[in-house]
Amino acid sequence: MSSRGQARILIGGGILAFIVCVAVLAPWLAPHNPNDQDLLQMLAPPAWSPDGDWSHPLGTDNLGRDVLSRLIYGARVAAIVGTIVPIGTCLLGSSIAIVAGYYGGYVDKTLSRIVDIWMSFPAVVLSLVLMVGLSPGLRSVILATVLVDWTRFCRITRGAILGLMKLEYISAARITGASHVSIMLRDLVPGVLPLIITLLCVEIGVAVVVESILSFVGVSVEPHIPTWGVMIADGLASVFQAPWCLVFPMLAVILTVMAANMMGDGLRIRFDARIVDRTRAPA
Amino acid sequence: MTDEAGDRIPLLRAAGLTVRMGDIEVLRDIDFSLRRGDILGIIGESGAGKSMIGRVIADQLPDGFSVTSGMLRFGALDLIGMPPKDHRRLLGREIAFIPQEPMMALNPSMTIGSHFEEHLAHLGHTPSTMRRKTIEALSDVRIAAPEHVYDQYPFQLSGGMCQRVLIALAFISNPDLVIADEPTASLDVTSQGHIIGLLRRMQQKHGTAVLFITHQLALAGQICTEVAVLYAGEVVERGATKAVFTAPQHPYTIALKAAAPLLDGEWTPLASLRGHMPGLKEYRTLDGCRFAPRCATASDACRQATVPLRQKSDHLARCLYDDAEARVEFPEGAARASLGQSKGELLRLDSVSKTFFRSGWFSRKPGVNALRNVSLEIAAGEFVGIVGESGSGKSTLGRLAMGLEDATNGTILLDGKPLGRSEDEWERRIAAIQLVFQDPRAALNPRRRVVDLATQAIQPRMMRADARRARAETLLRSTGLPTDMLDKVSAEMSGGQRQRVSIARALCNAPRLLIADEVTSGLDVSVQAQILNLLLNIRKEYGIALMMISHDLAVVRYLCSRVVVMWKGEIVETGLTEEVFRNPQHRYTRELISAIPPDDMNQPWLPLLEFAKAS
Repeated sequence: MSSRGQARILIGGGILAFIVCVAVLAPWLAPHNPNDQDLLQMLAPPAWSPDGDWSHPLGTDNLGRDVLSRLIYGARVAAIVGTIVPIGTCLLGSSIAIVAGYYGGYVDKTLSRIVDIWMSFPAVVLSLVLMVGLSPGLRSVILATVLVDWTRFCRITRGAILGLMKLEYISAARITGASHVSIMLRDLVPGVLPLIITLLCVEIGVAVVVESILSFVGVSVEPHIPTWGVMIADGLASVFQAPWCLVFPMLAVILTVMAANMMGDGLRIRFDARIVDRTRAPA
Repeated sequence: MTDEAGDRIPLLRAAGLTVRMGDIEVLRDIDFSLRRGDILGIIGESGAGKSMIGRVIADQLPDGFSVTSGMLRFGALDLIGMPPKDHRRLLGREIAFIPQEPMMALNPSMTIGSHFEEHLAHLGHTPSTMRRKTIEALSDVRIAAPEHVYDQYPFQLSGGMCQRVLIALAFISNPDLVIADEPTASLDVTSQGHIIGLLRRMQQKHGTAVLFITHQLALAGQICTEVAVLYAGEVVERGATKAVFTAPQHPYTIALKAAAPLLDGEWTPLASLRGHMPGLKEYRTLDGCRFAPRCATASDACRQATVPLRQKSDHLARCLYDDAEARVEFPEGAARASLGQSKGELLRLDSVSKTFFRSGWFSRKPGVNALRNVSLEIAAGEFVGIVGESGSGKSTLGRLAMGLEDATNGTILLDGKPLGRSEDEWERRIAAIQLVFQDPRAALNPRRRVVDLATQAIQPRMMRADARRARAETLLRSTGLPTDMLDKVSAEMSGGQRQRVSIARALCNAPRLLIADEVTSGLDVSVQAQILNLLLNIRKEYGIALMMISHDLAVVRYLCSRVVVMWKGEIVETGLTEEVFRNPQHRYTRELISAIPPDDMNQPWLPLLEFAKAS
């Protein structure tokens, strides 16, 4: 039983941990300053190609900036966004879901309508509008992504809460005199925790993708901060002469999303296995 | 057993049948035989392995389970050795099944007619005759408007109707053998009578042999020619029904009989078996007689080597002792508390009604009238039983009294003062009244430990951890649980233990009224007896009043001095339990009582008589 989902959790979690380490250690790992332009070596190919040179292992972009260094520094934004956004969406979405599911009735109806209306805006458009309204910067990116994505958390968690509310242990807690807050924290939250953790992992991938989209269209963080989205946008201009400028940041995004989903999958399998009751024999 | 008549060779015979999962013998050395036209009862509590026998016959053992030795013959055919393809060909033709959950067994997206068409096509009938044949089969099982039912969907029918449809489906191929796996477990007692009567009639009409799997002794006593009692994957006793039931030889059968509350006769304390049915993993540690750990008679010889089925006076039993009956110790039963009612009204419901609304987007439309004008008083220390079938509103009544639902009309008074919805009144209510839920698995938070669950009621008071633990220990002792269970979670306990924890939790703040909503209906008879005796002991210890909501009249008779009979949301009869049961006045009460198979198998059971008359 302990092996169920174990591999996925280890591989997914390992990749994510690696990305975070790279982000933290960026100043020591990166061979160059990510914004240094080497105008003599514009669009230099990766080291292993015939004209390659180990001073720029993954080549340079159209301004002669080192691709590897930019990739390493780009992990910083990804790591920050991928950590804070899931926590933010989780707190906002789950609290609203718990309140809606627990009180039911008009509270639930009102909150659910708000979620419905919110979700009827296309996510990308909504975040673009928000970013135009807010000044560019990391804080704004995080805020915009949280405000767009909390509804996913809310919907799914509310469904699970409604299922839990049918169980008699919620009624049982009420008649033992537990307060509403206590029931929510002690009986509801532990019940949906496995789901929330799984969703958190999925949200890591979503957050990284959303940030990449925003920086791709140039409304994310300040221009001097390298991000994977900006690299993809820059790489697009020289895609035929120097595909590596585009390929490496894309791979970085894909790898992150895959790792996050893999870990989420593994955790889901793991928690499912725990829910199965194996103490009673089949009749 | 030897066959009395040479021409009646067994239709189904198992000898030494053993099913293993890994190194665990799930079924061990199963022997039985079923002759053409007979009904063999397989009796056992949950976890005894009785459904596993049906699965072997259906070639549907779960993954990892396999038959490792022994034989199972159907006529001259070897069901174990034959190719799966041939085996499958028998199913639905010569061997038919009547399942436990009629609603689940029918496809909700297919009409009743198309279920028959599918099956008949499988049997090789031409489309032109199908409809006629189906209508015939449906009228055979006493469905009043077969033409109408033909075009209906399963969810438009009641559970009893669905079971009739399934019986018609099972018998349409004129099978030699029908396996009925708890066919009435999910039905009300009045439909149970109809279904069993019908099954019996169909069986006699077609001369079919029936393997009748059940946990109800009284039911098996009424219809089975022979019975085999199963415990933990072993046949512990088998023989002619009469022989087994009048003079049981195995301590388990004796205990099972002594644990079932009776509907008439002298009130006697129930003998409850200690412990619970072992799970599959525990089989490994049970080398000898698997019943030994729960047996009062067991000696070292019982624990060391497997005990064979031995010939007793007139049947077989798997016990080393010939005087098992004399050696069974009946544990000291709980004394029935005095019937005298104490004065002082505790709870009163004054013409209470409850309507459930269907809510739409902007409107609420009245839906079901769950309760209509119900008035009821409960005195301090009084045990009142609320009986009725599903949909009678008895559970709603309990939830209203507890305050988990609001009454649409009427008032509820505690100590003469009406209970409203304010915070203070809620505190007053939960201090005096507590509810024990039907399903302890759902009523206990699976992530909390017993120590926290039992003392949930003092949690808001921020007590010191050791004081709380001490309180939990006292509660466990009151409810007969070992105190080493304090740190366990729900999944680590058996059904009976969970229900005890649930009761302990309700007792935590010493309430004056306990509402028990079908607290024993999910439990086996032997465990049920433990819980019922526990409730009697609690009365002695805490002087508590009890509102026992149950569909089981015998359970109510065992505990309660007064009974309230509910039907379609109304109280139709109320009075002292003995008087109501001996001399029921309302038509529905009479119907309810006559629908219960009598404990004494020699007494006639009305539903069977009715069917015998009709055919």
